[in-house]
Amino acid sequence: MVASLVSIILGPDSIGWGRRVALLCLTLFIAGCSSKQVIVEGNFPEPLLDPLPITLGVIYPPAFAQHEFFDEAKGRAESDWLVKTGEAQVAFWDILLGGLFQEVVHIDSWETVQSEGGRIDGVLIPSIAELQYTVPTHTNVKIYEIWMRYEFRLADIAAIHQQDDGALSFKPDDRLAQWPITAYGKTPTAFLQSDEEAVNLAAVVALRDAGAHFITTFGRTPGVAAWLDGLSPRQASGETVSNEPASAIPSPTAGATAGTGADETLEQDTPQDSAAASAATDSASMPAPNSADAPTPNDPADAGNAVVEQAVSAVALDSATAASETAGSRELGGTR
Amino acid sequence: MNLPRLNRADRLGFASHWLALILAALVLGGCVNATVDEMTYNEPIAGIGESSVVILGRRHAPDYDTEFDFIECIGDHIHSGDPSIEVLNELAFINELYPWFEPRTAPMQPRAIDQLLQLPPVAQRFIEMKLEYMIWIDGNTVDTESTGSMSCGIGPGFAGCFGFGTWGTESEYEATIWDFTDKVEVGRVSAATSGQSYMPAVIVPIPIIAPVQGTACDSLGDQLLEYLSAHH
Repeated sequence: MVASLVSIILGPDSIGWGRRVALLCLTLFIAGCSSKQVIVEGNFPEPLLDPLPITLGVIYPPAFAQHEFFDEAKGRAESDWLVKTGEAQVAFWDILLGGLFQEVVHIDSWETVQSEGGRIDGVLIPSIAELQYTVPTHTNVKIYEIWMRYEFRLADIAAIHQQDDGALSFKPDDRLAQWPITAYGKTPTAFLQSDEEAVNLAAVVALRDAGAHFITTFGRTPGVAAWLDGLSPRQASGETVSNEPASAIPSPTAGATAGTGADETLEQDTPQDSAAASAATDSASMPAPNSADAPTPNDPADAGNAVVEQAVSAVALDSATAASETAGSRELGGTR
Repeated sequence: MNLPRLNRADRLGFASHWLALILAALVLGGCVNATVDEMTYNEPIAGIGESSVVILGRRHAPDYDTEFDFIECIGDHIHSGDPSIEVLNELAFINELYPWFEPRTAPMQPRAIDQLLQLPPVAQRFIEMKLEYMIWIDGNTVDTESTGSMSCGIGPGFAGCFGFGTWGTESEYEATIWDFTDKVEVGRVSAATSGQSYMPAVIVPIPIIAPVQGTACDSLGDQLLEYLSAHH
């Protein structure tokens, strides 16, 4: 629409200067109120690590792989925001997990579970439980911020099942561990490009922070530590981990949240109450290696005008359904 | 918008008034106060040879980040002052050592480097880099109070601004030098600069910007160059 108005402004000579200026003002006015869209993209580095001798399966549920959040403008001075992080999430975690583990197997179908399951030591299922953002027009602080809370679930490959509709699911009781990871990214306006570039940069910084947090806390998470301990003796004795039955892996410890007993569809996001309960655990495990001096990222969780994004819809694995559900969750928008 | 008609004398008086204002601003503008403090020891008398230096910005504070371009400015200043000093690019360094120099994980004390060196790939990368000094810069540049007003208008065949604005800018940076071989801090250099910028406007706004951040860069760069280089 803006482009068409500009073309009108630059159109026939019969249009007078006054009208042109009026149209230009109208164009600028409309452009100021229009929605802003960011498809997060960035170049992500490989982690500098000796990879763990583990073959990890990873399932990116559609709600994660196509993650986006939408915030509707609350006034004329604000803009609608649509930020799509899904592609960047998958790209980033692929690189990070590829550097952290000896081998990563993407599990996107039941066929993969059957064909590759024998050599997979564990299955990681990430989800984004919460995302908040602020821009200077919200806070009058000259910083763009993005804060995310992930929920990671680790399960044995034997716990993965296929539902009647073809979607993958797993029994919560068979979960080896579940833990939250928070991430924070900010861009000061001193680095200001456009609003969109600043939000993109804040998202990239948040992703990098998520990776740093994941790597520095992975082995210290109780359920994960128990899982790693269970893998080590078998690897040291030369046994082939992939041939071990799933039951050989230790049962969930305190780090694993008790399930409901029913199968859990992988596409479902973590319920709010369990997420809140796990937040305390997360804050206790936050410190980085330099724990005494670790930075305390500005936690915008308390900001009254922050946006809380939560995808609440259960989404089936097939892409067609997933796309429609994403659109549905977009309509839900956020609350500020 | 119609401007009032002025006679020749009025126009001359008006022009001279603004000319005087602009000249005053030019004289006052660009004036930057700089205070530099230095405390260094174990200076490498013979220079750092073939070793390299990395300059990194602190970005863990909740309300500011040390600017990437400021870090680049200091690196360029040192390298141009003594081309034999190899200054590693900050972004490339952070990416190569990901995730160990992110705001969450970056070492805050020299002794934390030992923990990093326990990771074989990190230790190997440092050896390849021949890193001798790690310099952390913490601080930022902010605009302070601003006064004045300016009006701009546009009409058929005419557009322009009229008014006067002024604002202050302050920079405060501290560089902490770590000797990477001995894992100790060997010096701190700080620079605090401030200046006033002006923008008179008679039809066309003329910004007269005080180079506050540039002066801070030159001040810190000079001190660091003096420390690192055998020729200064």
